[in-house]
Order: sequence, then C-alpha cells, then structure tokens
Amino acid sequence: MSQPHDDHHDDHGHQSRFIQHHYDDAQHQFDSGKLGIWFFLVQEILFFSALFVAYILYRHHHPEIYAYAHHYLDVKWGAINTAVLIVSSLSAAWAVRCAQLAQRRGLIACLVITIVCALGFLGIKTIEYSHKIHEHILWGKYFDPCVASAGNHLLNKGNNCPGVKTSVVWDGKAGKAKSGCLEGNYDQNPAEPGIQGKCEVIEVVGANRRPIEACEEVPGKSGGHGKPAKFPCYELALNPHVCPAGPAAMVLYGDHGHHGGAIEVRCDAVPAPAAPADAFADPAHVPTTGERTFAQHKAKSKHELAHEFASGPPPEHTNMFFSIYFAMTGLHGIHVLVGVFVFIWLLWRAIRGDFTPDYFGPVDYAALYWHLVDLIWIFLFPLLYLIH
Amino acid sequence: MSAAVDTNASYLTATRGWKSWAYTLDHKRIGMMYLFGILGALLLGGAFALLVRAELWSPGHTIAGKDAYNKFFTLHGAVMVFLVIIPGLPAALGNMILPIQLGAPDVAFPKLNLTSFYLWVVGALLLLVAVFTGGLDTGWTFYTPYSLQTQTAVIPAVLGAFVLGFSSIFTGLNFLVTIHKFRPKAMGWFQMPLNLWALYSTALMQVLATPVLGITLLLLFVERFMHIGIFDPNLGGDPVLFQHFFWFYSHPAVYIMIVPAMGVISEITTTFSRKPIFGYRFIAYSSIALALFSFLVWGHHMFVSGQSKLANMVFSALTFSVGIPSAIKVFNWVSTLYKGDIRLQTPMLYALSFLIMFTIGGLTGIFLAILSIDVQLHDTYFVVAHFHYVMMGSTLIAFIGALHYWWPKVTGKMYPERVARVAAIGVFIGFNLTFLPQFVMGSRGMPRRYWDYDPEFQIFHQLSTVGAFLLGLSLFGVVCYLMWSLKYGTKAPQNPWGGTTLEWDAPTPPTVFNFPEPPEIHELYNYDDLEELPEGGWVRKPSTGAKSSSGH
Repeated sequence: MSQPHDDHHDDHGHQSRFIQHHYDDAQHQFDSGKLGIWFFLVQEILFFSALFVAYILYRHHHPEIYAYAHHYLDVKWGAINTAVLIVSSLSAAWAVRCAQLAQRRGLIACLVITIVCALGFLGIKTIEYSHKIHEHILWGKYFDPCVASAGNHLLNKGNNCPGVKTSVVWDGKAGKAKSGCLEGNYDQNPAEPGIQGKCEVIEVVGANRRPIEACEEVPGKSGGHGKPAKFPCYELALNPHVCPAGPAAMVLYGDHGHHGGAIEVRCDAVPAPAAPADAFADPAHVPTTGERTFAQHKAKSKHELAHEFASGPPPEHTNMFFSIYFAMTGLHGIHVLVGVFVFIWLLWRAIRGDFTPDYFGPVDYAALYWHLVDLIWIFLFPLLYLIH
Repeated sequence: MSAAVDTNASYLTATRGWKSWAYTLDHKRIGMMYLFGILGALLLGGAFALLVRAELWSPGHTIAGKDAYNKFFTLHGAVMVFLVIIPGLPAALGNMILPIQLGAPDVAFPKLNLTSFYLWVVGALLLLVAVFTGGLDTGWTFYTPYSLQTQTAVIPAVLGAFVLGFSSIFTGLNFLVTIHKFRPKAMGWFQMPLNLWALYSTALMQVLATPVLGITLLLLFVERFMHIGIFDPNLGGDPVLFQHFFWFYSHPAVYIMIVPAMGVISEITTTFSRKPIFGYRFIAYSSIALALFSFLVWGHHMFVSGQSKLANMVFSALTFSVGIPSAIKVFNWVSTLYKGDIRLQTPMLYALSFLIMFTIGGLTGIFLAILSIDVQLHDTYFVVAHFHYVMMGSTLIAFIGALHYWWPKVTGKMYPERVARVAAIGVFIGFNLTFLPQFVMGSRGMPRRYWDYDPEFQIFHQLSTVGAFLLGLSLFGVVCYLMWSLKYGTKAPQNPWGGTTLEWDAPTPPTVFNFPEPPEIHELYNYDDLEELPEGGWVRKPSTGAKSSSGH
C-alpha cells in the first residue's frame, strides 16, 4: 500500500531534500523508518499491556465492582468517541494515500479532519471527566461520590470522612444531622428507637457539595427533574443505624446551592418485610423508595433491576474500577494529545509542501501510530463501558 | 553537518568546539559521551558501595546510622543498575562499535540516538536530584507498599528510572533497525560478528521489556502523586502486582546486562586465542534463546511472596532451562580456548575472569532456582553474592574488558599495557575477595540489607570490605590510566589485536562516516588472513580474497 515511487532511484538530484545522507536512497530511508515505527508500536502495546493485565486481574477478583461501576460511564459518549476515532483513522489513512499521490490539498484536508476528530475526542473526554470530577467519582483515594458522608464506611474503610465537604452530624434526638462526620457519630449517637419504623426526616447540614439528583418518587419534592437517582442517594437512610427497620427508605437532597445547602434525608416507614441483616451485601434487593417493597422489586424488569443495581450501595473498593478507568483512559488520552501535536506538525509541513511521492514517511508513520491509538480505544470502550 | 566538514578526517577532530559534540549525530561521539557519563556514574555508584562496605566493617554503628545505610545500598543499586550496567555495553560501547562492525556509516536514526543520550542525561540528573533531596531508601526495586510510604525522594528517582527506560528503548529500537536495514548484502545473518547477535538480542529485550517497567514506574509515580491505589492495599490495590510488573521488566533487564557482555566475550576470546570461534551458530542462537527465556522467569523473584505453588514450580522449571543457553556459551568459549594460541593481554585477562565468574554466578543461580533451597537462601547474602557475580563479575568485567579491547580503536591511543594487567588482576582478586565470603555468610543465614549483624559474621564482612576497597582502587586506577592515555598514550595501530571483524578494517580512529570507502567483507574469525607486524598491530595478508564488496 505504501511504497514510495522510486522512479528516481539512482538520480539523487531529483530526490527529496529530506533524504538523509547515511541512507542509500529514499526507499532505504522509508523502509528503515517503517521498521522503526513498527518496533515503536510493539513497545507501545507493551506499555499499555500492564494496564490491561491489571484490569483483567481486578476484574477476575472483583467482578461485582466492574458490573456495578461501569453504569457510571456513559455509553453514549463512549460510542460517539469510538465513531470519532474511527473516522479520524480513516482520514489518517487517506492522508497517506494523498501524500503518495502528491495531492497536497487532499493531504491537508485529511490532516485537518484528523486533527479535528482528535480534538473532538479530547473534548468529549473532557465532558466525561468533568462530570466525574463534579460527582467525585474519581480514582483511588479520591473516590468519594456524593453520598459519601454515609457511604464512606461502606465504600472504603480507609477513606474516613475526608473533611467538611461530606461531613454530617447525626443528631438522634432531633432526628436530624448537623454538620460533622456522620460515620464518626453513628456510634456515639445511634439512632434512637423512636425513629424506628417511622417516617423520619434527617437533614444533612453543612454539605457544601451540590446535590446531584433527588429521588424523584416523592411527589412534589423532586429536585432531580424527574430523573432517577444517579447515585445511591438513599445511602444514609438505608444505614441500619439511621433507619434500622428500613429496607425501604429514601434520601432527598435539598437543592439549596453550593455552600451550606441542606440535604434532606427521609426514611419512609414501610409496611414491608423486615430487611435482611445483610441488606448491604445484596444490592439486588435494595429498594429505592418508601413505596416499594422487596416483592415489588422481584417483579421488575431486568432493565429496571440493572438500573437499581447501579444505584445500590457500591461494593467495597469500587474505587479500583475508577482507578483503572482513569489510568487507562488517561494514558490513552495522553497518546491522543501527542497525536494532535504530531498531526499539527505534519499539517505545517504539508502546507510547506515537504511531502512528495518520494518522501512521505512521516505521514505514514504518524498514521500507523494513530491507528494503534484508535485500536487501543476500540479495546477500552467495550472493556470499560459495555460490561455485562 | 556542513559541506566544509572533511568526512575523511578522524571523527574526533573533524569538527571542533563543544557544540560540535552537544549537537553531534555521530554514533561514535554519542557513544563517547555516554562512556564518560557512565564512567562518572560508575564512580558515584562505587562510592556508595564502599560506604556500604565500610559501614559493615563492624556490627552496629561504624560510620553511619541505619537510615543512612539504607540510602547507601539503595543508591548504590539504583545508580549501578540504571545508569551503569544497563546502558554500559549497548549504549556506550555498542553505539561506537555496532555500525562499524556492520560497515555502515551510522545507526539508522542518528537524531533518535542523540535523543536517547539526552534522555540518559535527564534520567541521571533526576537520580542526582533524588540523591541530594533526601536520598532514597526503598532498595533499587521500589517495592510497594514501602515505596508509597517512605519520606525519601521516591518521585524524582522513579521519574529518573522512567526516563532512563525510554533512553534504553530508543537505543534498542535504533539497533534493531540498524542491524536489519544496514547490513551489507554480503553479510548474511550468520556472517555477523557474534557481538552483533548479542546486541540484537539485547535490543529485542530492551524494546519488549522496558515499556512494562515504564508503565509500572508511571503507575508508582501516579500512586504517590495522586493515590490511585492500584498497588496500595489500603485502597484495594495489590502490592504483589507491582512485583510482577517490576520483575517482568527487571528479569529481562538482567539479560539486557549479561547478553551484550557475552557478545564482547565471544569477540575477545576468539581474537586472543587466534582461533575461529567454536560453535558460532550455537552462540548466536543461544543469545536469542536467552532473550526469549528472559521473559518467562520473572516469577522466581517471588517464590516467597505468596505466589501459588503451581506458579512457583513452573517458574522454577523455566529458570533451570536458562542454564542451557548459558552453558552452551560457556562450553563454546572454553572450546575456543582449547589449543588456541592464547595471548594474555588485558582484554583477554578480563575475558578469562568473566569465564570463571560467570560460571560461579550462573551455577549459584541454579541453586536459587531450586524452590526448597530458595526459601532458605532468599534475601540472604547468598543472593547478593550470586547476582553480583553475574551483574558485576560478569557484566561489568566484560564492560571493562571491552573498553580495553576497543579503546585503541575509538580513541586512537594505546593504554599502558603493563599497568592495565596489574589492574585487571587487582580487579579479579578484589572482586572474589568481596563476594566469595558473602556466599558463605548467606548460606549461614546473614540476611541482606541489614545494617547490623551477629559477631560471628564479622570476619566475612571484613574480608568482603577489604576486597571491595581493593576492587574500588583497581577500578579507579583503570579510569585514571585510561584518561591519562587520552593525552599521553602511544598512537594505536589500525588493528592492535588482530581482530577480524570490520571495525579493525576501519581507520584508527574511524573517520566521520567510519570508512572512507565501503569496506570489503572478509571471512569472519579467519585468523590465517592476518599477519603480525614487528612494530605492533596486525594487517591483512595482501592476497587474501575478499568475499565481495559491500553495498546495502
């Protein structure tokens, strides 16, 4: 596909001025570069390989984390990015052909398309990342999603109530939580018997994080535009200490702005079978609102169950999924960024008219690199977004 | 280079000024710069080794406290591994010799070659930053979780090793392409000097193994910097996974060190025996075999890290199999010596030292491959002695030998032969005095990396310390007389040793593009072609027919 025309093989006078002196001719230089880029790509694959091994290992040990956590990745954005990268790979390959045929304008157009697609990919990735940063769905130590005030001890034992942001104080008498660390206060102030089985409202004060979405099932109190809760917003109430009788419970995040906004937490009394002691260990049985019982849950469609599964309390060390997610997509993103710079450099050279049928190696090599970057994404997309 | 450069002038003097070196694309100059950097690093790493040995002169506090001691041995290991013996043979001497042995004007990618060198410089500076900003006390292996907790300068050290890894990858890539694409038509794969087979195998490992170290160190960096948790058990990560990743690189890294050493030993043995190499193809294939096996044995570093029994047995068996290509080489070298006209010049003294010490290092490796024995010997001085016999007694000795072998070619100056022989004997005695007692100590249970020890071990530690200082003195002497010879050495003949590979057909020192005319390809290792001159050096006999002329 990509052999340079070597009509002028022996005629050094007509050769591109970019043929370096220590090569015999243009073909020799091209072949050397091609072999070099292939070795480089092998190196790249091995560079990524450790991350894939880590992915496989943790998925093997903790399939529940992957099944749970991937719901927080948006398949829509992932799919769009896949399409964007495939288009850019096509335009990169086309650029090589244009360079071979000395079609300078076609080459420039193809390079521009490639750069635009690469930037588009990065833009979409930025949208995805900023959502996650906003919701504190981050890697390792910083995995601290919105309900972490209560969920911390479930999510991650090593991550004790990390500061004021997510801290709440549970006031058992008032049935309210003030500012402070909820986790630390359970033990000192266990929920009073009066709360049991009753409909109680807990207010979480001092949480300056913007609430995500409220549980919309409460008529008239929805803060979430009718969307189902995105993260387990009932975590607080589900805690046996808070709502000991409540398998059916809910939490409502008051939409009161950034700082000092109150978060309401409601435990709705439910005439339902008592919760199994290990309700947390069995996320499929997690109810979402006070109106629902376990029996109703079982009757739900697979899709609904899957969704509720996603909204259940995260398995321990869910942070590891996001560590791997950010490591893999981050490293891939860096490669895309490098690709952008390489293609901008090629564009500059193409406009200057450097590339001829005798000398188009850099375009070819960059395209090969770009195909590999594309290919890695083709693996990342199903491995991270499409888990079943 | 501008048109004004006389390409028929010596590469050392064709252009002048520091810029002509800083921006050079000439593989020989780049190799020379590497060589000086590596010799500097060798002195630094050696100084740390002597500090370690001095501290161990007596139990308890001798010259330094525990924390300082931890830093001494860590920095000794990190500097020696990453800055000296990994780049030593391929990047410094390989760079100078590989294109000439191929009859090529340069490596395939000269700019990439210079990039590799500057990456080495950046990596070395980062390690120096680590030395001067609190040191490092993790051991050169950076094992998690300790490397996540220590307050010492892990971040610059890890970044340095990461950058050095890419220097190594690019050098390997360059060599692979050069050997594939710049071999003259008349030089088939099996007409290549064995040094090139060794460098090819090494380059293969550099390209295939080093990226895994790269990503591992990157993850460690991110771990410390951003607490990503992949290796942190507090966050659900797996610290043993770090060991797997680390040794997936670092075991091949041991072969990245030893295989090029085997290459130069093949060259020196045949040249100074005046006899064709015995079993050329076996030596060539065993280099490739070592490159392949090197990827399959990393688990033997984790026999006591909670690896499954099955994995332990598989890794143990595979580790034994490494003995086969290694033994093939040793037998072939010994057979080459047999009935040879052996010349005991300095490079040959180092080659013979290599033969003895590599055999000891290799055989003790077989001890350690045995599961039941490894449980006993793991983390004792026995392991320390074993890998020093391979990494220092073999690789570094071969490096010093190769340095003497090619020094006249690349500098145009002879070193003082008599002083050099004394130094070579000093190195041999010093080395064995340092490490033989460590085998004894280790088998009696002296753990490695300990600052303090029972008084019963003191005699062995003292012998070892005396040996280390003799070794240090001898190597320092080597560096001194080599530097001296740059100015005062006698002019070297074109072929001082009577070698048959192409570099001895190049002018001394080589011209800018190595050969004024494309060289003729002669039969490899045919010593009947050459005759010795009364004033020193060898020339080809007039009538010996070249196989054919070069051309790519």
